[in-house]
Amino acid sequence: MERLSWTGALGPWLVPALEAALVALALAALAHPLALLAGYRLGPGPEAARSGPGRAARLTGGLLRLSLWALAAALAAFLIGGLLVPPEAKGILGRIATRLWPVWLSLGASFALVALFRRRLGLLGHLLGNPAGAVGLALVMFWVFAALFADQIAPFDPITDVIAGMKNKPPGTPLPAPEGTYGYYLLGGDALARDVFSRAVAGARVVLAIAPAATLFAFMVGITLGLPAGYLGGRLDLLLSFLANLVLAFPVILLFFLLVTPEIVAMGVPTYMAGALFLFPLIFLTILWNSRFRTRPPLRAALIGATLVLGGWLYAGLAWNADPFGVVSMPAGVLIVFVSVVFVNAPSVFRIVRGLTLDIRTRDYVAAAQTRGEGPWYIMLWEILPNARGPLLVDFCLRIGYTTILLGTLGFFGLGLAPESPDWGTSINAGRGLLQFVPFPPLVPAVAIMSLVLGMNLLADGLREESLRE
Amino acid sequence: MTAPLLEIDRLSIAFATRRGDIPAVADFSLSVAAGEAVGLVGESGCGKSTVALGIMRDLGRAGRISGGTIRFRGRDLATLSGSELRRIRGNDIAMVYQEPMASLNPALRIGRQLMEVPRLHRGASRAEARELAREMVADVGLPDPDRILDAYPHQLSGGQQQRIVIAMALMSRPALLILDEPTTALDVTVEAAIVDLVKGLGRKYGTALLFISHNLGLVLEVCDRICVMYSGEAVEQGPVRHVFDRMRHPYTQALFRSIPLPGADKTTRPLETIPGSFLMPQDRPRGCNFGPRCTHFEPGLCDTAEIAMRPVPGASDHEARCLRFEKIDWQSRPPVPKAAAPGEVGAPVLTVSGLRKYYEVSSGGLFGHRRRKLVRANETLSFEARQSETLAIVGESGCGKSTLAKVLLGLETATAGQVLLDDREVQETPIQKRGPRAVADLQMVFQNPFDTLNPSKRVGGQILRALEVFGVGATRRARRERMFELLDLVRLPRDFADRMPHQLSGGQKQRVGIARAFAGGARIVVADEPVSALDVSVQAAVADLLMDIQRTRRTTLIFISHDLSIVRYLADRVMVMYLGHAVEIGSTAQVFAPPYHPYTEALLSAVPVPDTRVEKTRIVLEGDVPSAIDPPPGCPFQTRCHWKDRVPNGRCARELPPMVELGSGHRILCHLSAEALGEMEPVFRVAAE
Ligand SMILES: Nc1ncnc2c1ncn2[C@@H]1O[C@H](COP(=O)(O)OP(=O)(O)OP(=O)(O)O)[C@@H](O)[C@H]1O
Ligand code: SF4
Ligand code: SF4
Ligand SMILES: [Mg+2]
Repeated sequence: MERLSWTGALGPWLVPALEAALVALALAALAHPLALLAGYRLGPGPEAARSGPGRAARLTGGLLRLSLWALAAALAAFLIGGLLVPPEAKGILGRIATRLWPVWLSLGASFALVALFRRRLGLLGHLLGNPAGAVGLALVMFWVFAALFADQIAPFDPITDVIAGMKNKPPGTPLPAPEGTYGYYLLGGDALARDVFSRAVAGARVVLAIAPAATLFAFMVGITLGLPAGYLGGRLDLLLSFLANLVLAFPVILLFFLLVTPEIVAMGVPTYMAGALFLFPLIFLTILWNSRFRTRPPLRAALIGATLVLGGWLYAGLAWNADPFGVVSMPAGVLIVFVSVVFVNAPSVFRIVRGLTLDIRTRDYVAAAQTRGEGPWYIMLWEILPNARGPLLVDFCLRIGYTTILLGTLGFFGLGLAPESPDWGTSINAGRGLLQFVPFPPLVPAVAIMSLVLGMNLLADGLREESLRE
Repeated sequence: MTAPLLEIDRLSIAFATRRGDIPAVADFSLSVAAGEAVGLVGESGCGKSTVALGIMRDLGRAGRISGGTIRFRGRDLATLSGSELRRIRGNDIAMVYQEPMASLNPALRIGRQLMEVPRLHRGASRAEARELAREMVADVGLPDPDRILDAYPHQLSGGQQQRIVIAMALMSRPALLILDEPTTALDVTVEAAIVDLVKGLGRKYGTALLFISHNLGLVLEVCDRICVMYSGEAVEQGPVRHVFDRMRHPYTQALFRSIPLPGADKTTRPLETIPGSFLMPQDRPRGCNFGPRCTHFEPGLCDTAEIAMRPVPGASDHEARCLRFEKIDWQSRPPVPKAAAPGEVGAPVLTVSGLRKYYEVSSGGLFGHRRRKLVRANETLSFEARQSETLAIVGESGCGKSTLAKVLLGLETATAGQVLLDDREVQETPIQKRGPRAVADLQMVFQNPFDTLNPSKRVGGQILRALEVFGVGATRRARRERMFELLDLVRLPRDFADRMPHQLSGGQKQRVGIARAFAGGARIVVADEPVSALDVSVQAAVADLLMDIQRTRRTTLIFISHDLSIVRYLADRVMVMYLGHAVEIGSTAQVFAPPYHPYTEALLSAVPVPDTRVEKTRIVLEGDVPSAIDPPPGCPFQTRCHWKDRVPNGRCARELPPMVELGSGHRILCHLSAEALGEMEPVFRVAAE
């Protein structure tokens, strides 16, 4: 069998179209600023300011927009064409698009659902009307679905499928003996002869399992400490703020190196830190229920009981690896990564929550809660926190992106996760040595990180804009 | 007549929103002659500010002028170029906003900001500019101009800041000054001084004023002509006195009847509220916009076609947008609905004696040694409140009203003195330790309707929570039922329970706040400025609601307010506070008639009364309220008192006066002798009709 080309049978038509679109885009992008400048310079005085951009600028502006659309159309044609043409005519892109069909299906379905119930979905519905928000949401959902359906999408096992003769092969290389398996390494093979495409997809699963969960934990810690610091103030605030600044001032990478140093691991430092940090979600939920339902003791007892039993079980398993049933546990490497991410993110969240609390606690509804004798925790968790949710949500998105990069950095330094882990950071690290000769093994995960983080940032921007417009 | 300075002709302004265009202003015409003062009044959301911003062409991205013209000195502003427009905005038209800090740069000294104007527009030299700025600062009545010029904005009080903003606006000697609610954020006595200043300066420089306000009394004091707006249109305009005495639009009349003029009385002549509520611009009906709320509405006539302004006979340029004004009997009043008899005033339920509250604040920077200072928020207050009685507490901002409320409620503990709730001492008991019954008994209604409800919880849920906390109702069902009853009590539809607060208007939110306060069957309700942030017509409805609940439940109402008109209307007894002291206490009749405490007299004279028959003695207080950190020695009011000379030997500056009993519970804190007090004249005189 031959090596696959990128575009397959569609190439001869679509590649020139793509090139034309790119050339037009480049020209327009160059000409537009010039035309704008010229427009302002040629017509001095108020007339020019009032008539806005000159005719030339309007022309180049239109061209710019047109070429952008053309580019988008060409790319979409690659995807859709690749999906539709018969298998033997598909190129690499077409095959990848075909492998990703569960993602397209779920993306289409979820967007259709959101669009259908737009009115009732509030902020989420408005996001669709916001270009940045919609693109961000699409990128993020793409990776979420890719992670969910990784088993269906990846043609090979990311760790165990090592196929002789596929070491460092370029994209589209056929297997030497394709019996019963998929016939190609779509994005080539890495230095250990594993499929780069499968590893990238499987890596999404690792990253999306750790980053949001770790960020959520960081938020629980930050919120549990930030609320009382802002609301009660005084010595507590001074102390907590000082500690937060201390952690923030500590070089992150150094911290990670310390955490994985064998001596420190042997001393159990990561475990103790996990023991402390993982306690916060438990504390958080307990006071949440306690303050809300203090007037309904049976319900309160039930909720707190459930939280403590379930949470305690998870806590024992995750933090101390001491689950009596042996079900819940966390690999040591993951635990270290998790702890580091929570530890460096929590102080920033703390500062945001504290600032928001300082602002919201002066509102009359807080005073109203005080005058009916509510306790401080009820006020913090049920009166203040819900009204701080907007900025916190935006920060949550940004922070997941940041955590993704952090995971990448950790993997890149070979810290934490096992060396064969398919996560993106580790893959980049493994492939960087041969970057010049075999670019794809590190390049693919790098693009993956970039697109997920970009998606998160766009989503955050969209959320911020839309919540401001309420 | 000379050509008008500003001529607005059939102006329409629309805002683009997610749900399509909102026509905020429609078919609005108005002209302002040179040197004339025109008032623009109407309820919030009727488009007053939008008109002003339209004149300034400062509508933001969403706003756009969708029809009509604005001519300034005969030139259509729409045809002017950007730089010409800027020149007019800087030189000929100036604007003063409600919030003074919005117009001042907090990082620059006042002098710099003032000098910029002549330097930019006239190319004046530094020295010249500084001299001009000095003159202007003196002109706006600020003492010690040099010190002020070197100060930063945050070092000045709100009143001083607003004076600076006015000075800045007048620096370029504009032909037209637009003031959008310039005094709403200020205290009454400060407001009175600013209003005097604006009037005087307008006359001195021949500046035309466009004065936007919701306060009819102020408009009467400042303006020559008035334009009443409703729902984006002008409904009536004409000379001020003519419109006040012979209004010819039902909305204008309804507006006047909903404000407590002297003579209104909560039992015999209650305020009239305007039925229905203000419609959003996009839901305007066919025909007359006021139709759905008008008592003179005639189907088939008022709801068929757009209605134009028609001249009112009897005065030139008085016109009204009503088809039936000739046929309406303007004197008749609807029959007074029979109010429940006022509850018999019962035994004292709250007794305060010698209450003091000091706060300790530390000042001084990081390196300078910290100094501890005392803020004397409340000084030896003694009073009692009886069952079924309304006790009003009056005073300007910072006089300690809210601190008193906090101490009563247990959010703060007293520094000294005693607070008896029934006969339990509670001054030392913070609210957490009071027990649900005592907490439910003493509740509070808050000032800011936009802040009083938690924006992310449903209305019903917030009332339910209060019921839960107060231990009302055994089951969820019972509490839900009770919650619905409370909504009935404050006259809100039951399906409001499922609404989010942002779906409610200001008045409706305030009602929910009242329902929440009465959730545990409160016997004493402290209402901190409950109506001051509401529109006048809504104010009347909320005040009457409070009175009604009080009558049926025999509640004790402690009504904190700076608005003396509403206090006179609904209080039984009044306590006037100044700088933490109670300076006068007595029944409403006693406090509102001479002999007054000198501060009460000034306060009364500062209240703008929207009634052409009332004549007022003008007493304009100099300066600002001193700081509670270092209060003046002797009498707290001595720095601003007009009567100080009548006390021999300068005792006012040395000794704190005693609380003097003037008979039957009327007490004042003053050194003035009985005969000096006897010479006091009433502040208001109603001219014979
Ligand atoms: N930027 C905007 N976008 C959409 N609608 C707006 C905007 N600004 C004002 N409006 C609407 O225009 C109408 C008039 O508003 P405007 O601020 O002029 O009222 P106002 O009479 O000055 O009220 P107030 O007394 O509260 O200052 C209102 O219905 C308001 O909701
Ligand atoms: S036109 Fe009719 S509805 Fe409108 S104000 Fe006059 S009487 Fe009332
Ligand atoms: S004691 Fe003196 S300064 Fe104080 S109010 Fe009376 S007259 Fe004025
Ligand atoms: Mg306004």
